Amino acid sequence: MTDAVGTHTGTETALRQAEAGPAAGPPREVAFTPAFSCRGVGVGFGAKTVLEGVDLDIAPGTVTALVGPTGCGKTTFLRTLNRLNDRVPGFRRSGTISLVGEDLYDRHMDPLVVRRRVGMLFQRPNPFPLSIHENVIAGVKAHRLAPRSELRSITERSLREVGLWEAVADRLGSSPFRLSGGQQQLLCLARALAVRPDVLLLDEPTSSLDPVSTEAVEDLLRSLVPGLTIVIVTHNLAQARRLADRTVFFHGGRMVETGETAELFENPQQEETRNYVSGRFG
Amino acid sequence: MATVPVGTALPTASPHPDRALDTRPSVRRRRWSRRRAANAVYWGACAAALAGVAAPVVWVLAGVVNSGLRDWHWSVLTTQTVGTGGGLLNAIAGTLVIVVGVAVIVGIVGIAGGIYLAEFCPEGRGGLLRGGSEILSGAPSIVLGYVGYVTLVVRFHWGFSLAAALAVLSVMVVPYVVKATEVSLRSVPTAYRDGSEALGMPSGYALRRVVLRPALPGIVTGLIVAMAIAVGETAPLLYTAGWSNNLPTAHLFHAPIAYLTYPVWTFYNQPYASAHRLAAVAALLLVVLALLMIVVSRIIVAVTQRHSETSSAPH
Ligand SMILES: Nc1ncnc2c1ncn2[C@@H]1O[C@H](COP(=O)(O)OP(=O)(O)OP(=O)(O)O)[C@@H](O)[C@H]1O
Ligand SMILES: [Mg+2]
Repeated sequence: MTDAVGTHTGTETALRQAEAGPAAGPPREVAFTPAFSCRGVGVGFGAKTVLEGVDLDIAPGTVTALVGPTGCGKTTFLRTLNRLNDRVPGFRRSGTISLVGEDLYDRHMDPLVVRRRVGMLFQRPNPFPLSIHENVIAGVKAHRLAPRSELRSITERSLREVGLWEAVADRLGSSPFRLSGGQQQLLCLARALAVRPDVLLLDEPTSSLDPVSTEAVEDLLRSLVPGLTIVIVTHNLAQARRLADRTVFFHGGRMVETGETAELFENPQQEETRNYVSGRFG
Repeated sequence: MATVPVGTALPTASPHPDRALDTRPSVRRRRWSRRRAANAVYWGACAAALAGVAAPVVWVLAGVVNSGLRDWHWSVLTTQTVGTGGGLLNAIAGTLVIVVGVAVIVGIVGIAGGIYLAEFCPEGRGGLLRGGSEILSGAPSIVLGYVGYVTLVVRFHWGFSLAAALAVLSVMVVPYVVKATEVSLRSVPTAYRDGSEALGMPSGYALRRVVLRPALPGIVTGLIVAMAIAVGETAPLLYTAGWSNNLPTAHLFHAPIAYLTYPVWTFYNQPYASAHRLAAVAALLLVVLALLMIVVSRIIVAVTQRHSETSSAPH
């Protein structure tokens, strides 16, 4: 293991506290350093402002859903959380975001380390054009997290974690593109988990999957908390209700409302939220 | 044949929906035969186009192979040229040295240039490199050869030499490799870049491990085209490499070097049967060399693409 791991003991402490669970007190609220803490965050491209004035805390070990009509900036916001927008031409950001108490956009924060700590899964499965085994350990190798001799066992462990091991154990050396779409997405999940991230960002991870694969992915995600903090963008409100502890609603260039998922869906405080969750627009 | 069940309302954008939905048998038959006729015309056109491309290729190949085999004797592979007779060992060796040299130089410079243009050069920059590269690829080879002669061979006192030949040939073919590299890298799906960036791979590492691989077939093809052009060039070599009856030496400068296009071009104009024979055999060897390069490039492509999204080979 390299120093990349040593730099975030803060998170691990927070996670351990979170894992201690209900017995140790209310695990979800701000008693802990939030995994993410956004203050007055604005994002945009060139002259176009996508979101403004977002104040949001995301507690460690929870699932947070980002919902809102198309084009409201969910993807842009999500990609800001692991600095994936850094190199997008015209991207600008204001306000502060901290990752477990450290300023995410600090000059001394290495974006590569940030991305190891904050993994991401995309809308469409995107395995690399490498063998299945090489796919799983791609991140581990890039960050030199383990010696060569351990790579096989990391592959097995990660594939078991996502329930893909039985299906691919006999063809680790072959192409990932002959797997089904759902299996490819699980493979990408295994790849993201193999580097032991603290947070996983998911951008509509099941929108290209059938209901059975979707359920498999959802079950899996549920089983990953509270060891992991999850932020998921979804258009599927039922999915948000099934998965998320908290839900955030973006609309019209700002964060309209956030709250406990059940609360937000049953008893929305804002007119716009009420209209959206009742399916009247979006 | 797409029959429309009677009574089915098709969602159609036709301006005459009633005509599109006309399913009377006579109308259907008329449409079917019209479509068949159109189909036949297209097939005919395609076949003619194919023949138009294939015929000259077959004709040239047949001519070259025919005359080359007629005059073939194995000693051309083992003996050196003497006057306008003897063998072609010196020319074969010289051409191989030149091609390998060009491949190394152009492989490094061209691929690096293409990577820079596609990956690292900021938006709107790189115009100079791109423009220069395009001008180069448009320059007639004999002009490049002449310039090489005047500057390198004469002014810099390199003499007829491998160095001068490599310099001129490399300058001539490097644009193909730059272009091929840039285009293939740009056509790599952004999902690979996003995925590797999201895993926290450094950009150079991601390029080597993930992004370059799907671009390789295009890059290799560009490199092979460059090598094929280098093998087949005559004019710039006449100006820079000179000609030698001896095997290539380790000297980069002041040592003329032999190459296979020389006998084809020069010996053919000699009034000796032995010279004509060598010209025919050299032409055959050039064709074989070009085919070999294509085969090798196919193998490289097949091996590197075995995990690619589009490869259909069973594992
Ligand atoms: N690279 C970019 N350059 C300029 N504008 C962009 C860029 N990416 C996104 N946008 C704009 O930012 C706005 C928000 O886009 P974003 O992709 O974040 O929406 P979204 O909420 O994820 O939508 P969807 O639900 O359809 O995925 C859109 O108006 C979009 O046009
Ligand atoms: Mg989106």
